[in-house]
Amino acid sequence: MGNFAHTPGEYDPITYVPHTESHGTKELWRTFWLLLGITILDFILYFSMPPSMFRNSIFIFFGLVKAYYIVGAFMHMKNEKVNLAMCILVPTMFIIGLVMGLLYEGHALSTY
Amino acid sequence: MANQTSATFENQAMWAGGRSPFNLSYGKLMMWIFLLSDAFTFSSLLVGYGAIRFSYSGAAVSWPDPSAIFNHFPFMHGYFLPLLFVSLMTFILILSSVTMVLAVEAGHRNSKKEVSKYMFYTVLGGLAFLGCQAWEWTQFITDKGRLDSNFFGITEQGYNHLKQVKFGDHFHWVDGDRTWGPVPFASLFFIVTGFHGFHVFSGVVLNVIIWINTLRGTYERRGHYEMVEKVGLYWHFVDLVWVFVFTFYYLI
Repeated sequence: MGNFAHTPGEYDPITYVPHTESHGTKELWRTFWLLLGITILDFILYFSMPPSMFRNSIFIFFGLVKAYYIVGAFMHMKNEKVNLAMCILVPTMFIIGLVMGLLYEGHALSTY
Repeated sequence: MANQTSATFENQAMWAGGRSPFNLSYGKLMMWIFLLSDAFTFSSLLVGYGAIRFSYSGAAVSWPDPSAIFNHFPFMHGYFLPLLFVSLMTFILILSSVTMVLAVEAGHRNSKKEVSKYMFYTVLGGLAFLGCQAWEWTQFITDKGRLDSNFFGITEQGYNHLKQVKFGDHFHWVDGDRTWGPVPFASLFFIVTGFHGFHVFSGVVLNVIIWINTLRGTYERRGHYEMVEKVGLYWHFVDLVWVFVFTFYYLI
């Protein structure tokens, strides 16, 4: 059926769909077990460690690891062109700017 | 030198028109850009949550400990089970993400039967998650959490609930106490989880549409299952956002 591989002269930007192939389900299940494992680790850490900034940073780190696997494996970002990955992922750096800004200005919000 | 020249030529040809520079369909690229903007929306909500939460440090009634509030589990009334129910919700969402990606994989093999099967599971997972969230909201509303009021907070005596007195394993209401906890705790709970829940709801609607189209053979006639991939991207994004809601709202 439809092989939409690019041939010069036939390109229509609106209807163009690249040909895709199955990479199997092995990596997907591996990612699932990994995400489940990290969530269970979150659960265990929550009860075995007293609340602290260190514990919070572990949770945030685990969140970022989970994000990496969801975007990379489930959303197939690993198989996309580097150009696209940069276009989508680099602008998320603005979020870090937002976090820094609000941490710095955060004292001004407090009325206590 | 020769390599460099050919690389430059290749790079120019990439953007010279007549081909897709990202080797991506129009719809999928637009979905990625939409998800980027949605990521900004959600991060604004979560970063705002963090800033407001920190602004309450040093208050007479400071920010409550989420585990003291979200400790219910269906059919386990009276037991103190923090984090267990949200972990179950996380598990459900991750599982439905897997069935979604299996549907995408089946779509690559043009297997109508498998795509419709996995889309059905994904819809089921989404509905299960929404059901859990409705239950969680009901619990919090029963504990008198409202958009404009919240009875939870930590006083200097270490109480997590200002209007409840502990009797054994149960909490009972004591009326007449006029002290309130930080209101943004409740309002942001409803706003952040509600905004995410609305995304899940939209995702379920989209998944149902894709499922019906698959059953009707729309994509089989079209020759490819790209629509499944596009909606799949959205669905995984909803899962991704939940990872951070789980981290910032329940774990920290």
